[in-house]
Amino acid sequence: MVVLIRLLRARSAGARRMLAAALALTVPLAPLSADAQAGPVEYAVKATYIYKFAPFVEWPSAAFPSTSAPLSICVMRAGELLGVLERAVSGQKLGDRPIVVRSVDRLEADRACHILYVGSLDGETRAETLAGARGAPTLTITDGATDPAAKGIINFVIDKNRVRFEIDDFSAAENGLVISSKLLRLAVSVRPRA
Amino acid sequence: MRFLDLRRLWALIPAIAIGAAAALLLAGVILALNNERAYRSQKINEITVQARIVAATATAAITFDDRTAAQEYVNSLSANPEIEAAAIFDENGRRYAAYSRKGDVSPLPHEAPPLGAEFGDDRVVVATPVLQNGARLGTVYVESTTEPLARRIERYGVVGLLVVMASLVMVVLAAAHRVMNRTNAELTQANKDLQTQITERQKAEDALGRAQRIEAVGQLTAGVAHDFNNLLTAVLGNLDMLAIRHDGDARSMRMIASAQRAGQRGAKLTGQLLAFARRQRLESRPVDLNRLIENMETMLRATLGGGVDIVTALSPNLPRALADPSQVELMIVNLAINARDALPDGGAIRVETGAAGFGPPSRPEEPPAGEYVIVSVSDTGTGIPPDVVDRVFEPFFTTKEVGKGSGLGLSQVVGVAQQLGGGVQLETRPGEGTTVRVCLPLAPHSAAMDVETEAVREGAPSPVGGAALLLVDDDAEVRAVTAAMLREAGHAVFEVSDGAGALEIVRREGGKIDLLVSDFAMPGMNGVELARKARALLPGLPVLFITGFAETAALSGYARPEETLRKPFLSRDLVERVALLLTPDEAGATTPQ
Repeated sequence: MVVLIRLLRARSAGARRMLAAALALTVPLAPLSADAQAGPVEYAVKATYIYKFAPFVEWPSAAFPSTSAPLSICVMRAGELLGVLERAVSGQKLGDRPIVVRSVDRLEADRACHILYVGSLDGETRAETLAGARGAPTLTITDGATDPAAKGIINFVIDKNRVRFEIDDFSAAENGLVISSKLLRLAVSVRPRA
Repeated sequence: MRFLDLRRLWALIPAIAIGAAAALLLAGVILALNNERAYRSQKINEITVQARIVAATATAAITFDDRTAAQEYVNSLSANPEIEAAAIFDENGRRYAAYSRKGDVSPLPHEAPPLGAEFGDDRVVVATPVLQNGARLGTVYVESTTEPLARRIERYGVVGLLVVMASLVMVVLAAAHRVMNRTNAELTQANKDLQTQITERQKAEDALGRAQRIEAVGQLTAGVAHDFNNLLTAVLGNLDMLAIRHDGDARSMRMIASAQRAGQRGAKLTGQLLAFARRQRLESRPVDLNRLIENMETMLRATLGGGVDIVTALSPNLPRALADPSQVELMIVNLAINARDALPDGGAIRVETGAAGFGPPSRPEEPPAGEYVIVSVSDTGTGIPPDVVDRVFEPFFTTKEVGKGSGLGLSQVVGVAQQLGGGVQLETRPGEGTTVRVCLPLAPHSAAMDVETEAVREGAPSPVGGAALLLVDDDAEVRAVTAAMLREAGHAVFEVSDGAGALEIVRREGGKIDLLVSDFAMPGMNGVELARKARALLPGLPVLFITGFAETAALSGYARPEETLRKPFLSRDLVERVALLLTPDEAGATTPQ
């Protein structure tokens, strides 16, 4: 574990990318301890998942000004995860689109967020934020929410020591997103679309 | 031409069939190989598709490290009974999920195998990449059973067997065809043979018909000639008597001589008719044909005239022929006249002698197989046209002008030659000439009699008068003239018209009778029967038969040559013959009892 973290912090971008990719697949093999709520491995896994959801999600074409317009991942109160995510995403592309990561405090009307990770906000604020994103072509991701109102379209859960997720396809539909059935199949639970 | 080609084509059929069979076999093998290749490629495709489906669905599972989902994906392949095992490997080539129909996944590779497909004896192994947006996420490995090679070979074997059977059928068909062809050829040959036989039979029937026609004409001719002979006997006999008794008026004598010449010509004609009818009384004896021809050469030149030359080619050491010399002379004259008539612009007639053997005859006039002495008469004249050749031996057939030929010349030649036991061979080429070969039987070596003995014998007797003669003839005219001739010679003559009357006189007069002169052909009792009965009463009674034609079988078996006299006869001949028979030494010594 320690080795992996150190590697993640390595300066070389190429090495980092490699490690990130390696982590994405190898790290989850190690069972996560029940109490490792915010362990570095868990962050790494979640950070990787966040941008890896992108290939399985279809945004409405209006969500991008052009075919090569970047995919924006907005991170709100992510803490350590931000750094890990930035490193993992660095240089990655979704097709022709570069992937950019922004840290935001609130939703801004003129700057679109294709993926919005809402980190450690209190329940109320989180619900507000999510409500703000409702109807916009934004894939909202939350971590460990239990209150339905505070859950994003994708909500990370820990299942049998693994990072898994719930999917609210209903809300995805409201936001004009189509989530691949492949991804839906992997969800621990799915709220079906209307 | 087209038929010929077709036939040649038919003959090629077996080769074509065998070639076709070989081609079929080759095609079968190629088909099997092709099938095998197609089967493999199809199998690989099928399994690759399966692997790709798994690879496509497994992307999320690999991405999000969902082993359970990945395992579900590989397990779902169990629905396909042919798939034995499957596995998913991650980006680093490590096994991520695995399925084996047998349950034990340990034999499966632990590291991702190289991409591609491999076809083994009884299994196909396919490894395909798991791709997302062009990035490789891992590898899917699928292992499937195939139909075992042995089973496949068996399947191709069945196809091969069918092909072989088809080939065999073709070969059998070809063989059958060949047999049929041969049978056909045999049938054709048989048909040809049959046609030939029919033709030959037709020829034989034609020849038979011709022979029967000639036979019928012969019988008619013989009857007419017989009656004519009697008439001529009376006419010539009376003319003879008239000439003897005449007072010497020169004009009357000329008229009598003219009548006699006409009568003689009539007698010659009846002689030819009888010859053709083979009723001629033939006096066969060994004859030296070379000498006979040498002796008649002068006469022939005179007969034929100056326009033609006669060349003889006489074979030395020629065996003697058994023949009647006077008839042979007549034959040669007849043939020479025909030859001359075939040489309108003059030329040479070649008369040859020789001996030769002959095979079975091919024409009715030819002699039976055997050895013969031959007289041939050849000309270099016009030849006989083919449409006429078959008819030249028919009596009264002639190509000469009316009155120039009797149409009996060749008939006489054939009639006599056959009656003697030989025949005639005709060889003719239109425009080149004709050769007629007369084939005469060989004389037995023991026979020593020659022409001279007859001559000596004929010159011996001197006329003797005063004998008592019994004359029997059913023809009153002939009887009258014969009696007159005999009485003129000083004999006493009893005249009777039939055998019964004659026997009565013999019984009544007994030993007074010195000689019996009898016709041969009479109603009731013929001359020979009469002679037998008369001799029973008067042993040693000399008999002279006067006969119109050759009832030879009956007569020659009984009478000696000097005991017969042919009608018509001259008074002198009759008187001389009677005198000969009355000479006790001559008559008594040889009269059969």
